[in-house]
Amino acid sequence: MGAPEKPHPNTNSMQRVKVYRLNDDGKWDDQGTGHVSVDYLERSEELGLFVYDEDDNETILLHRINSDDIYRKQEDTIISWRDPEYATELALSFQEPSGCSYIWDHICNVQRNIHFNTLNSEPFHNVNSEPRELPAVELSTLPLILKTVVDSGFADQLRLTELILSDQEFFRKLMEVFKMCEDLENIDGLHMIFKIIKGIVLLNSPAIFERIFSDDYIVDIIGALEYDPEVPRVQHHRKFLKEHVVFKEAIPIKDPVVLSKIHQTYRVGFLKDVVLARILDEGIGANLNSIIHSNNAYVVSLLKDDSTFIQELFARLKSPTTSQESQKNLVYFLHEFCSLSKSLQMVQQLRLFRDLMNEGIFDVVTNVLQSQDKKLVLTGTDILILFLNQDPNLLRSYFVRQEGFALLGLLVKGMLTDFGENMHCQFLEILRNLLDSCTLSGPQRDTIIDIFFERHLGQLIEVITAACPSENTADASGKLIGAGQRFQRHSGTKPEILSNICELLCFCVLHHPYRIKCNFLLNNVIEKILLLTRRAERYLVVGAVRFVRTILSRHDEHLINYFIRNNVLKPIIDAFVSNGNRYNLLHSAVLELFEFIRKENLKLLLKYIVDSFWDQLVKFEYLASIHSLKVKYEQCLDNGGTKDSTNVVDLRRRNDERALEREEERYFNEDSDEEDVASASVPRSQKGHQQPNLSNGVAASYSHPRSLVDYEDDEDDEDYKPPPRKQPEASEEDDGIMESLRVKRKLPSKDKEPELVKKQKLSKNAKSKDSVFAALCSTLSQAVLPSKKTSISIHTNARTVEGRMGSSEDNQGDVQNISRSSSNNSSIAAEDNHVEKEAESSRSFSDCLQAKSENIQLGGEERPLVAPTSSPEMAVNGS
Amino acid sequence: MLLGFEPGVYLWRIIWKIKRRGIGEGEGEGEGEGEGEGEGEGIAEMSSELDRQIEQLKRCEALKESEVKALCLKAMEILVEESNVQRVDAPVTICGDIHGQFYDMKELFKVGGDCPNTNYLFLGDFVDRGFYSVETFLLLLALKVRYPDRITLIRGNHESRQITQVYGFYDECLRKYGSVNVWRYCTDIFDYLSLSALIENKIFSVHGGLSPAISTLDQIRTIDRKQEVPHDGAMCDLLWSDPEDIVDGWGLSPRGAGFLFGGSVVSSFNHSNNIDYICRAHQLVMEGYKWMFNNQIVTVWSAPNYCYRCGNVAAILELDGNLNKQFRVFEAAPQESRGTPAKKPAPDYFL
Repeated sequence: MGAPEKPHPNTNSMQRVKVYRLNDDGKWDDQGTGHVSVDYLERSEELGLFVYDEDDNETILLHRINSDDIYRKQEDTIISWRDPEYATELALSFQEPSGCSYIWDHICNVQRNIHFNTLNSEPFHNVNSEPRELPAVELSTLPLILKTVVDSGFADQLRLTELILSDQEFFRKLMEVFKMCEDLENIDGLHMIFKIIKGIVLLNSPAIFERIFSDDYIVDIIGALEYDPEVPRVQHHRKFLKEHVVFKEAIPIKDPVVLSKIHQTYRVGFLKDVVLARILDEGIGANLNSIIHSNNAYVVSLLKDDSTFIQELFARLKSPTTSQESQKNLVYFLHEFCSLSKSLQMVQQLRLFRDLMNEGIFDVVTNVLQSQDKKLVLTGTDILILFLNQDPNLLRSYFVRQEGFALLGLLVKGMLTDFGENMHCQFLEILRNLLDSCTLSGPQRDTIIDIFFERHLGQLIEVITAACPSENTADASGKLIGAGQRFQRHSGTKPEILSNICELLCFCVLHHPYRIKCNFLLNNVIEKILLLTRRAERYLVVGAVRFVRTILSRHDEHLINYFIRNNVLKPIIDAFVSNGNRYNLLHSAVLELFEFIRKENLKLLLKYIVDSFWDQLVKFEYLASIHSLKVKYEQCLDNGGTKDSTNVVDLRRRNDERALEREEERYFNEDSDEEDVASASVPRSQKGHQQPNLSNGVAASYSHPRSLVDYEDDEDDEDYKPPPRKQPEASEEDDGIMESLRVKRKLPSKDKEPELVKKQKLSKNAKSKDSVFAALCSTLSQAVLPSKKTSISIHTNARTVEGRMGSSEDNQGDVQNISRSSSNNSSIAAEDNHVEKEAESSRSFSDCLQAKSENIQLGGEERPLVAPTSSPEMAVNGS
Repeated sequence: MLLGFEPGVYLWRIIWKIKRRGIGEGEGEGEGEGEGEGEGEGIAEMSSELDRQIEQLKRCEALKESEVKALCLKAMEILVEESNVQRVDAPVTICGDIHGQFYDMKELFKVGGDCPNTNYLFLGDFVDRGFYSVETFLLLLALKVRYPDRITLIRGNHESRQITQVYGFYDECLRKYGSVNVWRYCTDIFDYLSLSALIENKIFSVHGGLSPAISTLDQIRTIDRKQEVPHDGAMCDLLWSDPEDIVDGWGLSPRGAGFLFGGSVVSSFNHSNNIDYICRAHQLVMEGYKWMFNNQIVTVWSAPNYCYRCGNVAAILELDGNLNKQFRVFEAAPQESRGTPAKKPAPDYFL
């Protein structure tokens, strides 16, 4: 903050003079314009007047100050004398009267000293050296005080601060002079006082602040600061404070000290933000903030310990007889009270929030959220956000109780409500905070998630379906969807709300993958969400693409199978195709989705997309991403027959056989039904989890485990040239695992055509809901078992330390290795993919164990996908 | 007074309409019929409302929350249509970092001309550091919504949730609005900002620099930019990297994100993409602009006296229709022209 001032621009103008000499014709000759100063003559202890030319710094005048009474002051701006040494008449004409009186005072001073020195040979103190005392504050001494304040060097400043503080009367007198100047409309005086106060503020002394911010002076100080000579118009700060600012007392505060602090805090804040905003530097800003901060802490802690005060507050908040107006004020007060409690120490604040919770603050908020007054509702949400920032579990614990259900319902409803022109992003923020798996723990965890998913997810989906065009029209219009509906407006829900829902759903996919998966598989939820692709607003279509992309980042086999079975990607492809050649965000988002599928080698999807949509996509083959998708697809088909590195693999395989056989047995035991929802997808889904954790300890990007994936490369892209780093050894071992798994398994080909026709398997899925979780748990626990994996995870762990690139390098290794093994494929692509993924994912899982043990809850169905620090929201909360 | 302005407003209304239609027709998707009478009226109304807001912002007076919300939603619709490599026609004036130095940006417009008359490309870092990030960004965004074809905004590394929480924009929103809602809306808009621009196929413009993951412009196409700036990867590098004399090839960046890249990297990038030079911002240059690597890359810096204390001058790069270059160097706005901060604290208080 604060522009550094040029060194005393005001003294420059103060010292600016014209020098005149009386010529023989009796006229005044202009000798030039320059700056005057009083200083020692060369090699002498005598003082003189110097004038240096303002352009070339040449000496225009050098005059030894004479002890005789030869100087005259005329009309406030002229000093003249007859120089006895040269017998000439000289005159200095000052630009500013203050400069004139300043030099005049000095001349008088020097003369006094010369007289004094003849009696007592103490050397004169240079005007620029340490001030010894401040002159008595009077109108006439203002220039001298200003000079002292403005000219003091660093050491002098300490001395000056002492001088000001030791003079108890200094500010009282200065303010008297100020009032006098204001009465007399003496603008020069007022400007000088402004500069003096500003100079004193710039000393940045807490002790001085304490004095000038006291009730006695602060208003006058603000008044004095209205007269900034650099601002053309006089400011009206006092008028604003007096006429516009209202101190509201929701509950009367009796303690006069508290009251005084409250007013002081407001005024200091006003000084900081408005009056002094332009001149403050960081240091002063920090000191003012700390005054505000400690005042707030003082006020809040006195009020919170005043039990009658708090009780009265809540009694009136809850009383049905309280008028609406005062109810409103009480809520605003409550909000300010909670908000200022940030100034307390953490422990104290937490205790305060607990107390407030016990007093029933959440009941109050529940009422507030039902108000018709939108602004009041939003204040209620702000209170909740303050609580969430402090400790989300306070609010969550409220949801365990029955009353909490209503509040959660109101929050979801709030998110779906049109707040007109008011911003209402707080609802999304609150829900995200509540559902954030990184901070979820204990019994509230299940409760809140259960309630949310059981009662409210459907509600969110319904809003989407209601707001999107029905299926029939879309199917009929076919390729015209995009263009034809561009301007279709659907009444009701605002697009902004739909966008928020979509964002919340993406968040849930990341944080509660298993819970939400059931919903997805059972109720056609994904298809319903993808209705968003029919909306006219392109950002909603992009939101739908993002949703799909988020699901795919889970690497969840069953969801992928579901995608294929139900032709889920159709609306995405349609949207892409109808977007045509526009290179916009939708275009890029879909291409990125394709790139992801290709680079992650999601062969089933690859095949599904090319088989089903190539006739639509072919006209985009000129795009590198579309072309490589096709190339990759063809490679997958081609590689079905070749097998060239089996030997190496065979050798390597032997070591692993025991472990692998065990694993394989388990695999077959479980995966007997190819439709079984519960196959090895669980550990695989941890892959996404691993990535943010590896990234350098820095938070991974906001809900995008994919940020690392972007860097991944396979043999198709040669362009990526990161700084050289050695290949992780583990990949070779993995290679071995996959090869051997593949070789050992003699499964009948499952290369069935993906079912493009929509074929509902609802009954089957429905039946299996419970077994899904049982199976998931057992898969989870066995994934950790194989001893082989432990050694790999040690490698990985060591690699995480390598630094920033380490993580992406690591992934690159994975991907290269996958693609290498896939190109050696002997068995069928689809199935192969399946096996590799399992091996890889169980590895990832043990990585996770090493990297982030606190997140692991064995047997638990939900584990956070996002590293605790990864959400920027978390950081927001912290501040 | 108002009457005097009427013809101008009307003229822009027409130009606006023509331009809107122009986009639709150019891409041949037959969306013309959707724009009926009602739509036109709505746009006209919106424009005059926008003009009012632009005038207000030019006085360094921030908008109301509700206006910010409406503005952001409109901006979102416009920005979502832009490319990761946004095509820009010459003549155009390229501007580097602004960093919330509102009055210095007004100097910039004085030197470079007002927005609809001059075509502008801003290379990001609109917010943080200075006192007026809110007013600065909202003015640029309002101009973008009002004249979508006359001003291009691309994303800088400071257009990020994480960075703005540390370097001032977050706190400024909190101070000026009493809540962080405006910050949330603005940072959501940041996610939609384009990543780079290509002027007449010859000048590649980006905030930071190159990425080892990007050797052709077409590779930028497959970035889904709607996300917080990641900590690594191509998108991160474009916004964070710096050219560096002593580096041969790629080097680790002391910034902790992005890379340092040397002359050979720039040569081969320019050669393989058939561009003349790269124009970027991101680094303070005391002289306002600086060529490197034999005029293959230029840094343009548009925040004079950066942080109100660095003492540097600023520059903008004017390209005429034939891509002839002229750097216009300017200094910080004089003290007198800086109004006092528009912010008045809430007029009532409980505590």
